Amino acid sequence: MNILRWSTSGSNPRLQTNVTQNLEFKQIRDLDQALIDSDVPSMGADRLIGRWTNTDARTRGLQEITIKQTGVQFSVSAAGAGTNGPIEWLAQSVRPLANLEEEAGQRGISLAADFDFGFMKAETYLRVNKGVLVIVLFNSFRDQSGRSDYVTREFFYRAE
Amino acid sequence: MEFAQIFDCVDSVAIIRRPMDVSGLPGVWINSNPQTNGITRMVMTEVDGGLTVQVYAIGPDGLIDWGVAKVQVYSSTPLSRAGAGFSCRYDFGFAESFLQGMIMKGLLVLAELYTFKDQSNRADYFVREYFALEHQRF
Repeated sequence: MNILRWSTSGSNPRLQTNVTQNLEFKQIRDLDQALIDSDVPSMGADRLIGRWTNTDARTRGLQEITIKQTGVQFSVSAAGAGTNGPIEWLAQSVRPLANLEEEAGQRGISLAADFDFGFMKAETYLRVNKGVLVIVLFNSFRDQSGRSDYVTREFFYRAE
Repeated sequence: MEFAQIFDCVDSVAIIRRPMDVSGLPGVWINSNPQTNGITRMVMTEVDGGLTVQVYAIGPDGLIDWGVAKVQVYSSTPLSRAGAGFSCRYDFGFAESFLQGMIMKGLLVLAELYTFKDQSNRADYFVREYFALEHQRF
């Protein structure tokens, strides 16, 4: 795609291209060529797929995470540490995202996964960095327990 | 008390019902990467005990003001009342931006999740950047 000119008329600026596309944007990154050419589900998804074990054997959070791919769909499930055995977590929605981070020289795929327990929801993102699966959880309570919404981060190594 | 992981399971007697202390978040947060082609700075402001953020990103002709968004504040544990992270959303019509930040050793690590709603066939994307709080002490 060749850039012809910028247009700043209207509420959002646009990039006009020689394929008669007008691309709106809110930052230059929105126009990254990698986004236009991407087939996200195939962008190194194999680095995420599989069963992962928490590096902290005494975690009070998630003990395991399993990520699966069926076609362009992904699923994320996990085992939360419970008092009488693991608690099942199953993501209600999972979205693959092209990962534009250039840290460690790798571009690939990240996942946004949302879990809903009724009394609490967890909005998470997962990414792999140098073979380590990292999940960051933004947990929000909907009950009247008085607990604070909180953010945690955990690390996992590949179990299989 | 319901829980989905032991982290969530706290003694109800220990819960202190008071507003979240957001004092560690307000200010001007600057991207550590001067070559960024994304968000350059965020201005966080305390409003009525809550927080708002105003985001500026780099465009072809200078900064693009995303406007002000309301922020949800997170602590680091269910019992803490000290703000340690936040999330907020922007809906631009053609795209949505979901920002999730967490403070680590004084650095704000910002995860940015973008979803395109137009017909451009651009891929939804993720990027993570680092921001420092302008303090003007040194």
